[in-house]
Amino acid sequence: MADQGTEGSQPVDLTKHPSGIVPTLQNIVSTVNLDCKLDLKAIALQARNAEYNPKRFAAVIMRIREPKTTALIFASGKMVCTGAKSEHLSKLAARKYARIVQKLGFPAKFKDFKIQNIVGSCDVKFPIRLEGLAYSHSAFSSYEPELFPGLIYRMKLPKIVLLIFVSGKIVITGAKMREETYTAFENIYPVLREFRKVQQ
Amino acid sequence: MATFELYRRSTIGMCLTETLDEMVQSGTLSPELAIQVLVQFDKSMTEALESQVKTKVSIKGHLHTYRFCDNVWTFILQDAMFKSDDRQENVSRVKIVACDSKLLTQ
Repeated sequence: MADQGTEGSQPVDLTKHPSGIVPTLQNIVSTVNLDCKLDLKAIALQARNAEYNPKRFAAVIMRIREPKTTALIFASGKMVCTGAKSEHLSKLAARKYARIVQKLGFPAKFKDFKIQNIVGSCDVKFPIRLEGLAYSHSAFSSYEPELFPGLIYRMKLPKIVLLIFVSGKIVITGAKMREETYTAFENIYPVLREFRKVQQ
Repeated sequence: MATFELYRRSTIGMCLTETLDEMVQSGTLSPELAIQVLVQFDKSMTEALESQVKTKVSIKGHLHTYRFCDNVWTFILQDAMFKSDDRQENVSRVKIVACDSKLLTQ
């Protein structure tokens, strides 16, 4: 994570990010309606970098290199775009897929584009006592190290899920706006400091 | 057992087809028999590649394009390196078509 907080070339706006750490966006999932029925087999045969195996999954899986993303294209004309690193790149990628479908002769539109999920991550650079955190925030926490090594923190406001690991690495998911990711992290940061593990 | 007609486009397959065409044209062979020979060729190629060819080749290159449709993978590689036991060769552009042989036995 090169462009996190103090390591970046730009100084962090401490009014927005009091912790001094800005979570890095890792994945954006968006949907759009191309608003026309699609012949998936024709698309798979003509387009490059496409997979279509209707026995396994009822959509064409297509990839482009710039922005590096994957799209699921359904016969109904609905499309899911995953893998982009920002909201803007996700929309740009979705437009490129729509253009590819258009060029294959379908009257594709670009209706109801929506960001469905934003995943961010960061590193607070100190270890965390997950058990203590889980105990004092039991209403929000689920920590079952035998099932998953991270603590799952379901924040109520904003409604965001955080995965907190002993190492101090944090994954923040469930946001529709990047501000929710940032707010969730600023909310949890004082808690993480409270449960900082002191090295022996 | 059903077979792929994939190997008819190989050098040996093209030569066979040419020869059979000539023989049919000159009347030394009936068209039905020529077809039967080609079908046998498909079977024999599949068997021979399965049981008699032990050489393994590794192919490594930049994947330019891929496709999976109707259970056939198509890959276009750029600057590919073909490596076998004792020799290697660079190819600037290569197209790989691969079918799942399990489909035939089903």
